[in-house]
Amino acid sequence: MNGFLWFSGHLGWRIFALAVFTGLWWLLSDLYWRLQSIRISRLLVTMAAGWTIGVGLILLGFYIGNQ
Amino acid sequence: MTMLVLQIVILCLVATAIVLWALYFPYPSPLIRRWLPPRKRWPETQIRTWLKQGQFQRAFLRHFYSDPERIAPPGNSMLAPADGLVTSAEILSGVRYLVIALSFWDMHVQRSPASGRVLHVESRGDGFMDGEGREFAFLREKSCPVQKRLVIATDAGQVAVRLITSIAARRIETWVRDGEEIERGQRIGRILLGSTVVLELPASANLLVCMGDRVWAGETAVAEGLTSP
Repeated sequence: MNGFLWFSGHLGWRIFALAVFTGLWWLLSDLYWRLQSIRISRLLVTMAAGWTIGVGLILLGFYIGNQ
Repeated sequence: MTMLVLQIVILCLVATAIVLWALYFPYPSPLIRRWLPPRKRWPETQIRTWLKQGQFQRAFLRHFYSDPERIAPPGNSMLAPADGLVTSAEILSGVRYLVIALSFWDMHVQRSPASGRVLHVESRGDGFMDGEGREFAFLREKSCPVQKRLVIATDAGQVAVRLITSIAARRIETWVRDGEEIERGQRIGRILLGSTVVLELPASANLLVCMGDRVWAGETAVAEGLTSP
């Protein structure tokens, strides 16, 4: 967890990026749901899959950046 | 330190957006309203709640009272007097009743279907249905229709436009008077929270729309082939 939550006098970039992404993803999903009128079950699956992929890409980006 | 402040500001913005979302749920947050079409921006359940409370969102009222310019198509065809969906076009006693149902999201200003002279502007209230003794298709679902009926003498004969509102609203404005000459597509009145507009045409008129069609006041041609009597 070194540097994950706190790094050099500010929030760790990874937790910051995850928090911002999660919030924006939530709001974007709400907008998508209102525009598309899709079933809630399908929305939840899409939301969860998108969030997982997004978090994976963020963590992968930081991992590659730290190499 | 600057970086920490920047991070906190960004997190606060995201948190504010989520708090707004939660406060307004299940209705759209003010942050996303502008990207939604009117029906999704103000869902029907929300409008019905406002109707009970007697309070409306200002943005909704602005939309409701909007009165955009309309360009009448060339020709002599009859134009739709209101925005909405065509729900019926029955013929009764030689008159075709073209019924247009307005929704909360439709523009509520009515326009003249043809140029001509206004013969009468009649107010009809609760007694109308009993007095008529006929059950028009457009009145079946309405127990106490409050109406204004504008009879217009055109080159192709008489037509009439009925503006029907509910007992709850009971407000119809008409902007033309008996004897006034009016243009095709001219504004003739407004139903405040009303629901139905009926265009009465001679049965011989050739209808250009059918049930389920969406029409726009002063822009959509709904009938043609009317000839002088």
